[in-house]
Amino acid sequence: MTESRTPFDHRPDARLGAVLRAALDAPQDRAAFVARVMAGTGRTPAHPVEHLLARWAARGIVAAAAAAFVAGLVIGRARAPAEPSVSVDPGAMIADVQAEPNLLLVATTGR
Amino acid sequence: MDLASAEHGIETMGTDPQRPHGDARNPGDVGDAVLVAQARGGDREAFGTLVDRYADQARRVARAVLQDPDDADDAAQDAFLAALVKLDQYDSARPFGPWLMRIVANAATDRRRRRKVRSAVSLDEGLVAGGARPDVVAERQVLLGRLRTALGELPERRRIAVVLFDVEGYSHAEIAQVLGIPEGTVRSEVFHARRKLRTLLADWRDDG
Repeated sequence: MTESRTPFDHRPDARLGAVLRAALDAPQDRAAFVARVMAGTGRTPAHPVEHLLARWAARGIVAAAAAAFVAGLVIGRARAPAEPSVSVDPGAMIADVQAEPNLLLVATTGR
Repeated sequence: MDLASAEHGIETMGTDPQRPHGDARNPGDVGDAVLVAQARGGDREAFGTLVDRYADQARRVARAVLQDPDDADDAAQDAFLAALVKLDQYDSARPFGPWLMRIVANAATDRRRRRKVRSAVSLDEGLVAGGARPDVVAERQVLLGRLRTALGELPERRRIAVVLFDVEGYSHAEIAQVLGIPEGTVRSEVFHARRKLRTLLADWRDDG
């Protein structure tokens, strides 16, 4: 029936398609089917609660994580104690080290 | 068996593959993307237009998987309702047909797995009654029954591929999207399906 075509042909085979279509066409008419589907949509909310929750869940988790991070950062900085500034005076350190022999000398001589 | 006369009734149904995209069928039609946008906004009438536009196609694809027409209609209905719920996931930059057909194919496959198709016997009513083939109508029924049986013997993916390509006019790329397989694999599936179906139809003529 389709002698002029080969299975390699990249174009749709209209004759084979017509036979297949006739074999697969539903016995019931389309209008009845469409009505049945539309009746079903009345029982299926377009945006069921679960669907809405699912849609927002991912965004909510990301937003909550971001908010928690920012809040942690802000609170952490606000609560951190003001640390005294530590400055090291090299001269003082040297003076301390040099003072020790003098103190020792005073102690031993009793003066 | 006079295959030519049996085919005659089939040919009068038209031989052009049905274009899958509603907006391509009739210039006056509202495009699928517009209808989807309206349906997303809660417009049931727009969704009804989409259902009407794709009903035949969806039922045929479902029947290619399930074989039983009642099961196929149930699966097609499930698919439309699932599509309604998932409309927000549809990328309107892409054609609607392949997206919907993927849902249809999945719904049909799920149903087949759940139910274990009643049996191919119901498909072969024409063959069962094949002893008596009094007229062209009976011959045609037998031919179609034989074709359904042959289609049912193909692997499921191959069945869907050949139906979408030769019956519904989808491109290889679109079918690849529907089935989630490479385009080259689609070409291979269509090739093998055609070879098998054509062999069967040729044998049928020889038997006559």
